[in-house]
Amino acid sequence: MRTTLERWWGLVARLVVGGVWIAAGQAKLPDPSGSVRAVRAYDLLPEGIVPTVGHTLPILELVVGACLVLGLLTRAMSLVSALLFIAFVVGISAAWARGLQIDCGCFGGGGFDADATSQYPWDIARDLGLLALSVLLVWRPRTPLSLDELLFPVDMESLEGQATPT
Amino acid sequence: MSKDSRSNRDKAAALRAARARTARRRRWRLAGVLTIVLAVTVGGAIWYAGQDPTGQRTASSGGAHSGVPSGADGYGVVIGQPDAPTSAVIYEDFQCPVCKAFEDAGAQPIDVGIARGELRVEYRIVSFLDAASANQYSSRAANAAAAVLDTAGVEAFKEFHDTLFANQPAEGTLGPDNGQLIAWAVDSGADAAAVSQLIQDGTFDQWVVDATDAMSKDGVNGTPTIVIDGRKLGAGAGLQRLQETVR
Repeated sequence: MRTTLERWWGLVARLVVGGVWIAAGQAKLPDPSGSVRAVRAYDLLPEGIVPTVGHTLPILELVVGACLVLGLLTRAMSLVSALLFIAFVVGISAAWARGLQIDCGCFGGGGFDADATSQYPWDIARDLGLLALSVLLVWRPRTPLSLDELLFPVDMESLEGQATPT
Repeated sequence: MSKDSRSNRDKAAALRAARARTARRRRWRLAGVLTIVLAVTVGGAIWYAGQDPTGQRTASSGGAHSGVPSGADGYGVVIGQPDAPTSAVIYEDFQCPVCKAFEDAGAQPIDVGIARGELRVEYRIVSFLDAASANQYSSRAANAAAAVLDTAGVEAFKEFHDTLFANQPAEGTLGPDNGQLIAWAVDSGADAAAVSQLIQDGTFDQWVVDATDAMSKDGVNGTPTIVIDGRKLGAGAGLQRLQETVR
């Protein structure tokens, strides 16, 4: 069985990543048109799906964040989280590479930003760090104080065959 | 011995059945939780899309008014001779500090250029900085400018526009209230009775929202943006081009 310490690190990862998602989604919530404009500013997606993406992202961020904090569907949610961070890193890198000067719109805002070029590396570094934590949770989704433990308790009998002494 | 082995077999069967029950219960719970999470996400996104005023029908608060200011050219306000050799499109938000800096230095060359017939300017007033105001100054000021245009024409609009930038409130503070906007509108040449209602009602709020969306679709992501000969320029480069134009 895994050591308890390892499991507690998983809890920390869940709370950090989930907390960031909640903050990011909540910051966008008051301005739906701004969220659409922030997506459009990346100039990557066809105009036909820009509003849908702009309206879905903040809600998805809140749902993923809430589920991670509660420890609900941890593996699936951290997978979604990881995929989103990959998409954001690609988006920010693409904006940087094409010389666009835009605020990433990560926590609301978006659009032109004169300091964008100095900001991109930090945005990417932050997202890579959160991506790593998300991947950790995909790998080891079982963490303490989670709804998953309550709703889907691990069947100790079925684990007996796999358990390796550590 | 045979009794023992049977009881062992029974135990094993009971254990298997219990495990199957647990597995079934897990599957149902998982399906339930997944359904709820998906429903919340989809429902939330639909609700959120409904909160977006972009492209909605003009609010009825304007009464009989269509909600589109007369004298507007699309989402622009055009000042200057049609045959002027240089034409500039200027995107501005009344709450944007860099726009104020641009106007402080640029109003003079712009006025000279327009007066000499060398420059034609299309102002695109947009609003995305309500979050930087304690009382939605950005959108109220934009609506008021549209009201002045509608009731008193392009010259009055320009006067009002210059007044607003000269008196721009600091970010995060309470901006001038509607009463103050009406007073400035009247100073700029608008009729008090005609313009007050439009400013109070936010008659052109939807038009401003759509103008802001149009800016984004034009690939303009911030203010001020000065478009000259198809090139999008920031405040510094835009100012320089305008000064060269009137030299």
